[in-house]
Amino acid sequence: MEEQVLASRTVGPPPLPPLKTIALNRMAFGPRPEDWAAWDALGSSESERMAAFVAQQLDPGSIDDAACEARIAAENFVTLNKSLRQLWADHAAAPDLTYQERILPAEETVQATWIRAIYSKRQLFEVLVNFWHDHFNIYAYQYRVSSVFVHYDRDVIRAHALGNFRDFIEAVGSSTAMLYYLDNVYSSDGGPNENYARELFELHTMGAENYLGLMDQNQVPVDGQGRPIAFVDEDIREAARCFTGWTVNDSSSSLPDYQAGPPEQYIPGTFLAWDDWHDQYQKWVLGQRINSHQSPLTDGRAVYDMLAQHPGTAHYICTKLCQRFIADTPPTSAVDAAVATWQANINAPDQIAKVMETILLSDAFKETWGEKLKRPFEFTTSVIRATQVEWTPKDSFDWVYGNMGQRPFRWVTPDGYPDYKAYWASTNGMLRRWNMVPYLLEDWLNPEIHVDLASQMPTTLRTSTEITDWWIQRILGRDMNPDDRTEIIEFMAQGRNPDYALAQSQIDERMPRLVQLICMSPDFQYR
Amino acid sequence: MKITRRQFLKGCTAGIAVVGGAQLAGLSLTSPSYAATLNSNQEMLITISLRGGMDGLNLIPPYTETEYYTKRPNIAVPAPGSATNPAFDLDGQFGMHPAAGPLHDLYQNQDLAVIHATGLINNTRSHFDAVEFMERGTPNDKTTPTGWMTRHLISSNYSAQMPAVAAGYTTPALFRGSNVAVAIAQLDDFNFNGYWRWEDAQRYALRHMYNGDTWLHRAGEKTLNAIDIVEVADPDTYTPEYNATYPSGSFGDRLKILAQLIKLDVGLHLGNVDFGDWDTHEHQGTQGGGYFADHVSELANGLMAFYTDLTDYAQRLTIVVISEFGRRLRENDNQGTDHGHGNAMLVIGGNVNGGQVFTDPWPGLAAANLDNGLDLAITTDYRRIFSEILIRRLGNPNLGIVFPGYTDYTPMGVVSGTDLTPNYVPASDILNVQSAAALYNQPVSGEDALWDSNNNGIIDDNDMQVVQDRWKLYWRMKLQNAR
Repeated sequence: MEEQVLASRTVGPPPLPPLKTIALNRMAFGPRPEDWAAWDALGSSESERMAAFVAQQLDPGSIDDAACEARIAAENFVTLNKSLRQLWADHAAAPDLTYQERILPAEETVQATWIRAIYSKRQLFEVLVNFWHDHFNIYAYQYRVSSVFVHYDRDVIRAHALGNFRDFIEAVGSSTAMLYYLDNVYSSDGGPNENYARELFELHTMGAENYLGLMDQNQVPVDGQGRPIAFVDEDIREAARCFTGWTVNDSSSSLPDYQAGPPEQYIPGTFLAWDDWHDQYQKWVLGQRINSHQSPLTDGRAVYDMLAQHPGTAHYICTKLCQRFIADTPPTSAVDAAVATWQANINAPDQIAKVMETILLSDAFKETWGEKLKRPFEFTTSVIRATQVEWTPKDSFDWVYGNMGQRPFRWVTPDGYPDYKAYWASTNGMLRRWNMVPYLLEDWLNPEIHVDLASQMPTTLRTSTEITDWWIQRILGRDMNPDDRTEIIEFMAQGRNPDYALAQSQIDERMPRLVQLICMSPDFQYR
Repeated sequence: MKITRRQFLKGCTAGIAVVGGAQLAGLSLTSPSYAATLNSNQEMLITISLRGGMDGLNLIPPYTETEYYTKRPNIAVPAPGSATNPAFDLDGQFGMHPAAGPLHDLYQNQDLAVIHATGLINNTRSHFDAVEFMERGTPNDKTTPTGWMTRHLISSNYSAQMPAVAAGYTTPALFRGSNVAVAIAQLDDFNFNGYWRWEDAQRYALRHMYNGDTWLHRAGEKTLNAIDIVEVADPDTYTPEYNATYPSGSFGDRLKILAQLIKLDVGLHLGNVDFGDWDTHEHQGTQGGGYFADHVSELANGLMAFYTDLTDYAQRLTIVVISEFGRRLRENDNQGTDHGHGNAMLVIGGNVNGGQVFTDPWPGLAAANLDNGLDLAITTDYRRIFSEILIRRLGNPNLGIVFPGYTDYTPMGVVSGTDLTPNYVPASDILNVQSAAALYNQPVSGEDALWDSNNNGIIDDNDMQVVQDRWKLYWRMKLQNAR
């Protein structure tokens, strides 16, 4: 145990790496080896390259993603192209469904999510989809939700990830998955359920930072436009009344018969704004009166309009985006700039893309490093990408990966997986992330998950120093902490002169474990 | 790399950092590596979380109530003295399930107390909601980003190499947001798992690479220490003491994990074991037998083994058995019970005032006294029991932080220990910063004295610092933005 008694080493925050390292770790699930050269080809200066990369990634439709789509096609998923109506009919309403049939849409979304994170060239889009899934979190395996989860991922999250926030929140709120997840499906004038309304305010839009608890509505200070600066419990309750009647036609007896009415309104499994369940009397939300005798759609949309326009929402969402893309505690200047873009584009169809552009091209984005920890999903996909693991779905992988605590769409509560480093830098979390590396790179999961490191490295590299440096550059795209590099070279040399050529058998034996060490090193953990 | 326990302890005095809870004046989520000295004699609180809603009316049957038998014609536990499967008599009013013999022995030894008609003051009958409310310690808010045990760790004094362990694959909501709590499903699974010939060399290299001062280096070092600690536990050769025999199955295995870690003297302070499958909607067994009886037997044998194995530690050990809610009084058509409300809790330990059933008061089973007309009412908030243990056993009076909003604690007498004045000042109330500020430089008395954290009779700069820190802590937790 001598090695435990180490002289304390002063290692401060890591130095600022090249911009490409920052961009490919934050705007992607980590770099693939070929991404370094592709970056260099984007322009003649770093700022030119960054601008080109951001522009390209914010226009995902312009990026040819056929290779990734072919991989998804090769899995022969059966639910990903079904309409909401079909999903409901096949996976919720059909008689004698097994559990496996009910959760198939969720399961296939999970596997497609892995494939896209690993192989899609529309990496920023995938990162944003990941962000919004956390933001508008739904536990995908809940009864009814699992049956329609494909729709939530495809037609709600993906359809709006770069779009307009006002449209986004209505798409979320009227989605079958969210209506079930947060119980609004059961909310009627006779028994309003405030679960959705509460999370709409506290998690989806204005955030806890703009919540004043049980304060009287009339006591909340107003801004220059006479608008309350924050929300209180009464706003939530009044909004819950606005959303009574926002439900799903599940063909139960109290709801209209699909066969009897216009199909587009009464299709089973789809959103239904049901007048009979709507509280028709006047409501008072965020300082505005909502008149009596309006339809459930009119009332709900009035709430969405207020929330989407509110400066508190702009600040809360922009802060979260900056926390995702810059640091747990982002500089105020970056948040303020994002808020300005948000407000200037409040009605723009590409409002979120515009805000992202502001954040990604900010100085804070370029100048901040060492403040984010890759979460398990980002860590695992980044190992796979950096080492060119060939990945296809495999049950045993899901189970081992599951021990890391971030299986896609399995966070039960509506707040979504945390994205701050203290949560994931736990003892359990560190151990599981280290263990994931040999689990993937020892090729124990062949053939579904397969890696060949030897064929990637030029055969001309023979010494411990050469081999270490080559892999450090390939994986990190920059120099490593010099002490850590020395440690890895010594690992490779095993007591011999690090500049002597190693025997082929020694390279074969040690090189894969050297690659593992780089992936376990502190420098590989930052995002 | 196998080392002996003696070598390990020698090595770790110099090498493995001890983490400590925050002093209130310096609340911090960021750097748990205070210059704390390991106090291997500190108190331990172990919760046994029975998932699914354990039927406390059958574990601790109120056998003198006629409604108990009229509403449960098939599944009621026969009263003491019955011919078949009679309940153990506890106090002339309550019995204990006949399959819980080992627990009855602990009761008779006065090492086990029962609290009845207790639970979560919230009307939910949802497992998920109830667990979240209960373990986050905020009965009306399931989005509180930290568990109550996490907030205990933040607001108390402890020192440990491994202060909080969930024996299981994940840490429960109790430990949500903690950067020190670890989950260990199996001790032989909590190890560095590389290719056998190179894993030790990799571990050696990581020791050096994670030697540093940043949050990341500290996390890595803590992990390597934990791996070392667990490695020494050497699960294959562990022999329980005092002829303790753990039941086979994951419940017994997980109790054994905690026992092994406790005996390593790594300062284990809080532990949790999940024990599931109590959701007995159908066929839970009739006349004191069947499924529920088998499950109770495993629970009782496991707890007896654990407590026996830890005989030498009993004086600083408190075990709480709790479930998210009880079950309906009336049995259903499938000879099972649906989700209910009030329940029984068990507390076991060397400082427990055992051999008693605590109720305050017993609400009875008459229809008019049932919650919602259907379920056992709750007359004792579960937070009262934990608050008593926090204060009398763990020495942490900061109830305002651990259980924000719970302000009327009085001890029930379930455990013995020194009473401390509860500190109800919540980290959560932003307005409190202002109300404290209004008292700045003022002599204080009465309720205002809550702000006087150094007890010098005046709200001075020190006190204001404490208030500010609590306020900052709250927002950091609330925004999930711990640096």
